Order: sequence, then structure tokens, then C-alpha cells
Amino acid sequence: MASTLTFFSKRRLINFGLLLSAVAAFWVLQEIYANGIHATAILSGATLFGTCLVLALFNARKKLPFIPLLKASTWTQFHIYAGWFAVVVFFFHTGLRLPDGRFEIALYIVFLAVALSGVLGLIISRIYPSRLRLYGENLIYERIPGLRQQLQTDVEKIIWKSVNETKSFTLARMYESKLKDYFSTKKNTLLHLVGSEEAVNDLTEELNQLQRYMVASERVFLAEIIECVKAKDNLDMQATCQGVLKYWLFIHIPLTFSLLLMGLLHGLMALAFN
Amino acid sequence: MSEALATISRPQRWDVPFESEMGAEAVARILSIPPFSQIDASRFPASTSLPDILLNDTGLRSFKKNQVIVREGDYGNSAFFIITGSVRAALGKDAIPAEVLGRRQPEKKDFLSTLRQLWGNARYPEVRSLRRYKDAKAGTEHEKVDTTAIFLHDIPSVLKGGTAVLTAGMFFGEIAALSRTPRTATIFAEEDCELLEIRWQGLRELRLRAPEIKQFIDTNYRKYSLENHLRETKYFKDLSPAELKEVANQTRFETYGSFDWHSNYKKNRDVAPEERIKEEPLIAEEGQYANGLVLIRAGFARMSQKYNQGERTASYLSRGQMFGFDEIAHNWNSKDSAPLQYTLRALGYVDVLVVPTSVVEQYILPKIPQSEFPPPIVAQIKQINDRRDGELSTDVVEFLVDNRFINGRATMVMDLDRCTRCDDCIRACASAHDNNPRFVRHGHQIGRYMIANACMHCLDPVCMIGCPTGAIHRNALGGQVVINDTTCIGCSTCANSCPYNNIQMVEIRNEFGEHILDQESRPVTKAAKCDLCVEQVTGPACINACPHDALTRVDMQDTQTFAKWLQR
Ligand code: SF4
Ligand code: SF4
Ligand code: SF4
Repeated sequence: MASTLTFFSKRRLINFGLLLSAVAAFWVLQEIYANGIHATAILSGATLFGTCLVLALFNARKKLPFIPLLKASTWTQFHIYAGWFAVVVFFFHTGLRLPDGRFEIALYIVFLAVALSGVLGLIISRIYPSRLRLYGENLIYERIPGLRQQLQTDVEKIIWKSVNETKSFTLARMYESKLKDYFSTKKNTLLHLVGSEEAVNDLTEELNQLQRYMVASERVFLAEIIECVKAKDNLDMQATCQGVLKYWLFIHIPLTFSLLLMGLLHGLMALAFN
Repeated sequence: MSEALATISRPQRWDVPFESEMGAEAVARILSIPPFSQIDASRFPASTSLPDILLNDTGLRSFKKNQVIVREGDYGNSAFFIITGSVRAALGKDAIPAEVLGRRQPEKKDFLSTLRQLWGNARYPEVRSLRRYKDAKAGTEHEKVDTTAIFLHDIPSVLKGGTAVLTAGMFFGEIAALSRTPRTATIFAEEDCELLEIRWQGLRELRLRAPEIKQFIDTNYRKYSLENHLRETKYFKDLSPAELKEVANQTRFETYGSFDWHSNYKKNRDVAPEERIKEEPLIAEEGQYANGLVLIRAGFARMSQKYNQGERTASYLSRGQMFGFDEIAHNWNSKDSAPLQYTLRALGYVDVLVVPTSVVEQYILPKIPQSEFPPPIVAQIKQINDRRDGELSTDVVEFLVDNRFINGRATMVMDLDRCTRCDDCIRACASAHDNNPRFVRHGHQIGRYMIANACMHCLDPVCMIGCPTGAIHRNALGGQVVINDTTCIGCSTCANSCPYNNIQMVEIRNEFGEHILDQESRPVTKAAKCDLCVEQVTGPACINACPHDALTRVDMQDTQTFAKWLQR
């Protein structure tokens, strides 16, 4: 059985085992200190704060790629499982209920937001890469705006050519009424986020319906335009999903720093007032 | 910033000579020694005259008795000519233990220099200190391996195999220098001797324009290196010296394709693979009788099998591998006769040795124990993708061969189903390299895998072929293909030669971000590419920085490790 496991499955099993052991060890410690509510709160609070601090160091590690501090992928694994550990300790610490006091409630919410953004980040980083690959050509994010502009220019050229050669305005009218807007900015962000192709299918269907109003020579141009619509859809999909993959950290990291600061204040206050 | 400070003279081929102490007198002396004295100097153009080549591409070296001159396994960018004295070559693989040879690790940044990158990196991309060019000295930090301090003591006890003596008037080290491969033998001074070291750019021109030198070197190879090569080949190890000599005498040299294969490859890249395969020079054909054992000496060959109307690539062979052995062994061992099961074709350029079947039957097969014989050949219908674990699937092999990625020793492969396009790899590379990443996260794709545009540190780095100064060279210790920025003259030859477009020409700047200009106010350019982070303590920063295990470096000769990575 073990020999048929892939490297990643083996790693997942080991890490999960380590996580369970860490939780068990923490639980035993809590039990040892269980005689005093205050002591267990300090233990769980300090463990939680320490874990969050170590988790936050991952960002610092990323800024020091040339210093031998283990591979970033090892840090990612640690980050994921230590993150789950922090969630467990958090519920030990808060006792699964909303705390009293406005500051504590704010802290509670910030922790949940950090954890949730982390889990979302993990989910999208596992789902989006293959979706990006299967959807269309692999593109470099920074080049997408330029490619979009180029595509729009190409589409306008096709429309001009179509008008000149066929003397028919069906495509030109469609461009003015609908396609111009479609090609000029990023579209269908929400649909791309959930992996739906509904919008592009509707649009190509609508374009196909136009065939009956066209002369034969115009249909050749229509086919080209449909290809451009699909290419634009891929650009939007790549921009949306790559953008989310890049920018979710802009939520997760600032929230983490707020959490650390608030956690520190909370700890100091707790120590001072007890 | 004053303009004068941002201006340098446009770098030229011989701005930095190989050896600063080489003078007119030394050149005249070399020109009086055969075979140099026999060269017709009028065959050389004025821009690269014979005396100029000797002045700028060679250097005189003195070695004391027992001093090591070149070490087996090091990458050589130069060859040697013995002026006086004699040297001895230790024959056989690992003929002298590595500890005795003082083999050291490639130099890495020390702790402080590593830390200094945190604050010391320039704000602009491709910043260079002008002082670096003005103070340039002969040679470079990577080009030469310092063997000056290595002496062999008690030679009989350290030597594991035989030796051969080379005397005044002979060349050595030219194969490694010209074929861009590691040195195959350790050579040390038999007595105090004086040698002329020739960097390969100079040697190439000498070979090109002076047939005497070419002849001299080729005869040398047949005489001294062939037996050594055979001795290192599986199944030939147990031959006695007399038998080995006999086998060597009957071995044929054959060369297929062109040495500068990259130009042809670039031209034919868009031709359909099934058409391209027909253009590849045929070495041996499926269905024919195996009339010789083919040993690959340099380059690559494709092993393919007929499949329906086309040909299916089963695998690729490179230096040190053989073809036809299973069939020869089968025919010798069994009553029925099996023809060649595969076709062998040259990929670009390949140098082979052919040992006739009768010689294999007479000298090699009788020495192999029955248990080591390959299993008998049974006719079977092969299916596409009928691969086992640990083997590359047919589509991957076809992809690697068609795109010549088989040349890579450290090919950057990305798993697009794990890559989140976060660009941490790009940022890490930039922070380790003048604020400019040395690769592009883009490239040819096969399924979920992409070969990114990053230097692959090829087995056959054709980018080195035309470099006039030797700025692009192999790191002598690790074999990484690196560029000496000081001697690079920005001619773009390497960038145009690289079949994979993995070299960029960059415009360099001073510390204020201004472009550095030459006397004619044109920006000075330099070649830049991945150096495999040869100086970084962490090794390749890109691999280290990838948070999702999406990126690796693959030696395409080690297909098992690659297959394992693909099947993770
Ligand atoms: S620059 Fe190109 S040819 Fe040279 S080693 Fe790198 S990938 Fe190979
Ligand atoms: S090995 Fe180093 S130089 Fe090469 S691509 Fe990776 S980070 Fe860049
Ligand atoms: S660091 Fe890894 S995941 Fe990020 S872009 Fe590079 S290969 Fe992809």
C-alpha cells in the first residue's frame, strides 16, 4: 500500500500525523494545567500568539531567497499545517464562543478573517493552476493588458476589412453595439472566478445566430471574430484567476500584521489586568 | 553623473588576453617550434593573424615534477602543447582518488557577502561597476582550475590504473576543450616541463586554418584517447591491454550531422516532426543485421521504432551509451538471429565509434558471465505509452527529442497544475542577479509541464561555439555554463547560437541607473543568462523560492529521476 502512494500523498499523511500529534501534545499540556483557568488561558494564548508569529515569518523568508533557510515549499507545508494547528488552539483559547468586550470581538473577527483568507488562498492555489492551464494559452500576467489591446486592434481591422470587402454592415453593427465594449475591458470576472463559461458561450451563440443575416463572404469574417472572442475570454480568465492568485496575499498579509499587533495588545492587557 | 564616467570603450575580443605575460619574444619562440613552425601564416586573416592568436589566446606555463596539470572530471576550456619535458596521463576512470587531487567545491559567496545582498543590491537593473572593466586582468575567476598547489606524492600507490607518457611536441586536453566535455584523464608532470596553454577559441582557429595542426590532433586522439574511451565503457573493462589495443585498432570512427547543428535545427524547427525525422542522418536501421556495436562519443542520437505509418521514439542516447549490444549478444547466444530492433539516427551532430560485431564476439562476449547477458529478444508488439513506473512516456520522450531538450543538464521544468503564477521564482532570481531575472516563465509545454526559458547548462552548449573571447564558458568545477561579464564584448553570437533562446542581451547601467555608453554613444550590452546561482550558498534561488513544489531542474540524462518527478 505504502509503496503505491505518491510523494505528495505520503507527505500529506506525514504532515497530518504531525498535526494530530501537535494537537494531542497541546491538549495534554492543557489538561496538566487544567487546575487553573488562568494558566490554561495563558498557555493557549501564548501558544496561539507564538504560532501566529512563526506563521508570519514565512513572508520574511520570501524576501530572503538567497539565505539558506530551508526551501520555500517546506515553509509552505509548515505554514499550512501550523495554520490548522493555530485554528485548533484558537478554539481551545476562546472556548468556541464569542468573547466579551469590543476589542476582543474585533480580535476574534480578525483571526477568523486571517484563517479564512488563508484557507481560501490554499483552495484557489490548488484549483486555479490547472484551470488556467486547461482553459487556454498560458500567459504572463503583466503582458495581458497589452495583449488585450492588440486583440482589440486586430478585431477592428477584421471589421474594417469585412465592411470594405463585403459592403455589409452586420458585423460592424454588432461590434458597435456589443463587441467594442467586450474587447475594451476585462469582463465576466465573477463568472471566471467560479469557472463558468456561460458568458462566452452566450456571446458566441449570439454571433452564430447572426449568420443567417450575412452574405457568405461575411461569414468568413464572423468565424475570425468568434476566434477573437474566445481569445479575449481566455485573456479575461487568465487575468482574473492569476490576479486573484497574486493579490489574495494583499488581504492575508496585512490582516496577519493587524492580528499580531492586536494579539500582542490583548496579551499585554490580559497579563496586566489579571 | 558626468558622461565621461558612464562611458567605456566598446569591448573587443582581445581586450583581456588569456595571459598578460605573453610577449612578442615568446610568440617568436613558439613559432620556431614544429608544428607551429610549419604553419602557413598567410592562411590567417589580418584581423586574427597567427601571431595575434598566440599572443592573446595562449599562455606559457611551467610545471614541476609530479605537479597536476589537469584533473579528470574538470571542465576544460583550453588545451596544452608540450614545449619541453614530458607529462603522464593516469588512465581509467577515477585513476587517482579525488582527495589526492585536492578536488574542492565550487566557490560560493561567504556568509557576509550573502547577507550583503540584503542591502547591497543596486536599485536599477543590470548595474555594473565600471572599475570592474578598467581593472580587468587576464584570465577569469572561473575559466581556470587552480592546480598549482597540487602535487602527487608516492605515485605508484595512488595510481589505480595504467599510465601513458606524452612528450615534447604533443597536444593534450584538446578533446575536452573542443567538445565542451569534462577532462577524461588526470595529467601530471613527469618531470619539470614547459607547456603552452591554448584557450579553445585560439585552438579552433588553428585547427580551422592550419591543416597540420588538425592532422596532428586527430592522429593524437586515435593514438592516445581511444583506448582510454573504450576502457571506460561497460563490458570493455576486463580486456587485457593487448586485447584493448586490438579492439581499438579495429574500431571505426564515424561522424554524422554537422558540428554547428544549432543553425540547422533553428531553420527546421517548424517542419513537422515526422518529416524532420526523415532528415536526420541514419546510423543504423531497424530490421538490418547488427554489424557493429555503436558507442556514442559525443552528441545525441534518437532510438526509434516503426509504428504504423511513422516512427515512435523509444529513447535517446548520449555520450557513453551504446546501441546494438542486445542484438549482437542475442545472435551469439541463441540459435535464431534477431535483427536490430530500433533505428538509430543522429540528432544534430554525433560522433560514434563502431566496434565490428566479429570483434565484439571475439573479445567482449566471451568475458561476460551468462547472468549479465541481456534477456533474449522476443518479437513483441509494442504499444504507445506502454511504459512502466520510473520511465518517461512516449509523448514526453518525443517532446524532449523534438525540441532537443535532451541536451539539458539542469533544465527548468514547471508543473503548471501546481504553479500559482506567483512569480516568487522570478523575484528570487532577480534579487540574486543584478535585479534582472535570468529566465522567463514561459516556454514549450507538454500537458501540464512546461520547459521554461532558462539556460539548461547543456551537455553540448552550442552557445559557446562562436564566442570570440571565451567569455561564455563552463565553470571548471561544476560544469555550469557561465558568462564572464568582464570579457563579454556584447557581440550576441552566443544569444543567436543558443537553440533555446535562453540568453538575453542586456544594456548595462552605472550605479545611478544611467546606461553605460561606448565612445560612439551606443549603449554597451552584455550577454546575461542563468548561471545556476553558482555563487549562491542556497544553490538555484528559483527552486528554493518556489512555495508550491512546482519548479525543478532536471538532468535529461537521468530520465529515471525525471520520470519520478513527473509521477509524484
Ligand atoms: S545558453 Fe542555450 S545552448 Fe548554452 S547552455 Fe544555456 S540553454 Fe544550452
Ligand atoms: S538557477 Fe539562479 S540564475 Fe538560474 S534561473 Fe534559477 S535563480 Fe535564476
Ligand atoms: S515560484 Fe513556483 S509557483 Fe510561483 S511562479 Fe514560480 S514556479 Fe510558479
